[in-house]
Amino acid sequence: MTRHRVKWISLALAFGMTPWYVAPACAALGGDAASVASDAVALHGVMHATPLQQYDIHEITSDNGMRLREFLSRSGVVFAVTWSGPAVPDLQKLLGTSYQTYTAAVSAEGHHGLKRSVRIATPDLVVESGGHMRAFSGRAYLPALIPSGTSIADLR
Amino acid sequence: MRITHLLVVLAPCLLCACIGGSNGTATNTTPPAPTVNTLAVVVDAGPVAAGGAINRPYVTVKVCVPGSTTCANIDHVMLDTGSWGLRLVRSVLTASAVTLAPTTDANGQTIEECAAFAGGETWGPVALADVTLAGEVASKVPVQVLDDTNTGASPPATCSNNGSVHNQVSDLLANGILGVGVFAQDCGNACVSPSTPPNIYYGCAGIAPGVCTAENVPLTGQVTNPVALFAADNNGVIVNLPNLQSPNGDATVSGEIIFGLGTQTDNALPATGLTVLGADAGGDFTATLSGSTTALPALIDSGSDDLAFADSDPNMATCLTNPPPPQQPSSAQWSGYYCPIVAPQSLSAVNTGVGANNATNTVQFAIADPNSFVATATAFINLGGGQGSTRFIWGMPFFYGHEIYIGIDKAMVGSLQGPFYAY
Repeated sequence: MTRHRVKWISLALAFGMTPWYVAPACAALGGDAASVASDAVALHGVMHATPLQQYDIHEITSDNGMRLREFLSRSGVVFAVTWSGPAVPDLQKLLGTSYQTYTAAVSAEGHHGLKRSVRIATPDLVVESGGHMRAFSGRAYLPALIPSGTSIADLR
Repeated sequence: MRITHLLVVLAPCLLCACIGGSNGTATNTTPPAPTVNTLAVVVDAGPVAAGGAINRPYVTVKVCVPGSTTCANIDHVMLDTGSWGLRLVRSVLTASAVTLAPTTDANGQTIEECAAFAGGETWGPVALADVTLAGEVASKVPVQVLDDTNTGASPPATCSNNGSVHNQVSDLLANGILGVGVFAQDCGNACVSPSTPPNIYYGCAGIAPGVCTAENVPLTGQVTNPVALFAADNNGVIVNLPNLQSPNGDATVSGEIIFGLGTQTDNALPATGLTVLGADAGGDFTATLSGSTTALPALIDSGSDDLAFADSDPNMATCLTNPPPPQQPSSAQWSGYYCPIVAPQSLSAVNTGVGANNATNTVQFAIADPNSFVATATAFINLGGGQGSTRFIWGMPFFYGHEIYIGIDKAMVGSLQGPFYAY
């Protein structure tokens, strides 16, 4: 078994999917390179990889409408993740070690009551989560790890 | 006896006089009284336990144990055109001596729901209730009971990892949420039959930690917009709030929600001048901010207290208590909203419908510095926020002075088919 396998299973958990076995929690954002194909069967989702000049995009789609994309740099680090679908994915799994930064920033927000969007921006982490029932979307990225020449707008 | 007969004879004539009819046209039959389809909406400081609220529209909802006279009138339920279904805080129901039994799945497990909002979620069981809004009754409506007392199963990590659980009145700034947007069910087909249920509905075997598993729920078991379950007047709503008296805020606002579209004399659609914006499968049309070429998913959302959109204009600063010059410090209350450096900032955006109802309409609006607002007011028209958002939310400021029409998915309103928003 490779660390790649552990990682994809962690993504599967983030997605609400059932892996073949319980894997230890493993960071998605900031994590290592992932093998694309080998574990797709276990994910109950369809995996698709798109190599680009600066980075690769690995996409998982599920028949429940959830879509997850992770952006993998040439140095093999996941520097961004995006999501869309009828629910919000498990952000602890998705954000990995950055999750505590996210929760601390969310709880420090002054704007009370229900919201349709939140944006957390620290020097190390940006999380944008928004939407409403039936249509949630968001992204998280590590500004310091974005490959040079990559536009934030491309992280969709 | 004689007096009673006299009243019966006179009553229709009094009605005729009221609507300008002639005394010479009395008939032997009295038409049935129309269902009262208008419910008061108020914008105020919210329930006492909320500790203050702004730009939150509230209604009073009558909720009963199904088939019984065990009922409560729950005030300060937030009227939300951006969600679907009724959610009520458990402790508020308990204080009114109403207990709603959770529904169960085929395995006898309690059905609980994780209803996400940005940065948080509500959690609690699905239960059936008879819901009365004005004179309209919906029986056995699946509603969500928000478990602020932690009486039931605790939320699983796949739910709570979105952010904090918002089950308290002080979190919601309301005693509940009445979602009357463009859909009947809050999840729809995505929760009916996928091989991997999304993290929305869960079956819970008891209340111990770790006993909840995401599961599919048929449409009839999902938390449902009560309007869609009315016997009539069930194809949509009109939210009608007046314009504000002051650009710096009004103390309170009184308006109404009217049930049904084109079903009674009080809810006809205007013959001309109406902008009808069809919504997609997620409930969104599109909006494009002036100066941008990006069409963003958009909705008209009484559950948002501001006009929320990202704006790269340097003048559109985000309020900070300790900002760099030339921006002025903001009070903590407004932290996160827009504080234009030169205010007010005039803006416009183009709304475009999706599908058959593909109207295009340009909306002019302004964003003020909220630090100039009246401190004791609760209703503000020029309040903006949402920097960094990838959506466009026409929140409460858009409702002041507009009649907002919401057409429910698949329902017909004359020749128009929902889902749509119109104004």
